[in-house]
Amino acid sequence: MAQSEEVPSTEGDAEERRLIDRSAAGDQEAFRQLVLRYHRLVINVAFRALGEVALAEDVAQDVFVKVYKALPTYRHDKPFKHWLHRVAANTVTDSLRRRRPVVSLDGLDQPLVSAGSDPQDIAARHDLQRAVRHAIASLPPHYRDTIALQAFGELSYDEIAKALDIPLGTVMSRLNGAKRLLREHLGDLVRPSEEANTA
Amino acid sequence: MLSHATTRDWLIPYADGMLAMDERRRIDGHIAGCARCAGELREVRELNLLLVTLPPAPPVAFAPFWLNLQAVLPQRRALRMPRVQAYRRLGIAFAMAATAALVAAGSAFAAPSALPDSPLYPVKQLEEGMRLSLAPANERLPIQLQLADERLREAQAMVSNHKPRLAEDSLRAFRVIVDDSAAGLKNSADPKATKDALHKLHLKLDAVQRENASRGDDDQQVKQLVDAANDELDRIEQEDAVAAPVLVIGEQATPQPTPRPTPRPTPRPSDKDHRD
Repeated sequence: MAQSEEVPSTEGDAEERRLIDRSAAGDQEAFRQLVLRYHRLVINVAFRALGEVALAEDVAQDVFVKVYKALPTYRHDKPFKHWLHRVAANTVTDSLRRRRPVVSLDGLDQPLVSAGSDPQDIAARHDLQRAVRHAIASLPPHYRDTIALQAFGELSYDEIAKALDIPLGTVMSRLNGAKRLLREHLGDLVRPSEEANTA
Repeated sequence: MLSHATTRDWLIPYADGMLAMDERRRIDGHIAGCARCAGELREVRELNLLLVTLPPAPPVAFAPFWLNLQAVLPQRRALRMPRVQAYRRLGIAFAMAATAALVAAGSAFAAPSALPDSPLYPVKQLEEGMRLSLAPANERLPIQLQLADERLREAQAMVSNHKPRLAEDSLRAFRVIVDDSAAGLKNSADPKATKDALHKLHLKLDAVQRENASRGDDDQQVKQLVDAANDELDRIEQEDAVAAPVLVIGEQATPQPTPRPTPRPTPRPSDKDHRD
């Protein structure tokens, strides 16, 4: 099985641990350093899920407020990054769920995944991505949180298992279920064209 | 030959590259002769392609992001020890002189015994901060240990007085002091004294935990913070043990047993906090 390898960095870990402990004690400068390290990651997760920069920044802000409040209970028993991913995925999918549904799938009857760079194709692809985001938002929570970590957080199976504290087999089973439902939701949108089939 | 159902169950991990080589071969074998399952695989890959092509965010400036975030961060009562830079020491010395009269007048009341719920507590914090920042490097560790001990005394008193939020603040401040003194503890000139000091801190933490547990409405946050602080002390002790040098006499190294963390004593009801 393909699994991600993490390179341990004792020095980096010690510095991060120091920042976390100081942040938990109310040191905002230490927290600023933590946010500086991870804001890009969190905004990326939020943007992939929501597709709007301003909204992604707002949600990322919510994520860091939650993290700041919860830091005193953080036990260093799992990597901070994994914990942060979990908080980010939960917050982002909650936000996504509150905003759905906005998109109609009526005009999206052509498979557009492999579309080119034509402006119309780009617009159509944006609509399709929005449809995917909302299809993810409509999944049952355990599927939604797992697929969000893969699709929005770009985590490997192994990293998802660590972030959610679940066995690798459970990750596989949840992703299996989530993607089956996504295919049902998205229907023809993920069906390759006849051209592609015969090519 | 795999069945259609089994193949379909495995298509998603197959497309994600999560199957072992022999499992992949079995799927390959089935797909080669099954147009329906091959079609499903194409759909799975199309979905994956769609998922991985959700675009990343454009660059976002950090400074405005932080300013907006800082404006909504909840304010905590920061009980951290100030880390004073050298060039500010002169200013602090001046401030100390200016406030000396105030401190002297108030010291009879405030001084070391003020608790976090006392209006004189900030004076105590100021005094501690000055004492620590003006201490020579080789005298910082005993002061830090004394302050760590004091934070635990406060935490226990606050738990006892039904003020869990203040107890939590003291426990967080304790962790910051321990964190700051970790390097000094690991490189202590007197390892036995350090070990004894850590042992004493464990006992104090246990006393806080007992006090918390003895209340009908014991505070979970306090419990977690005490556990985390114990873990932190254990970690320092373990790192200290691993870093212990091997004695070399002549050309032969003295065999050393595998370093083990010092076992923490089981808290007993009779372990009293003798400081108070």
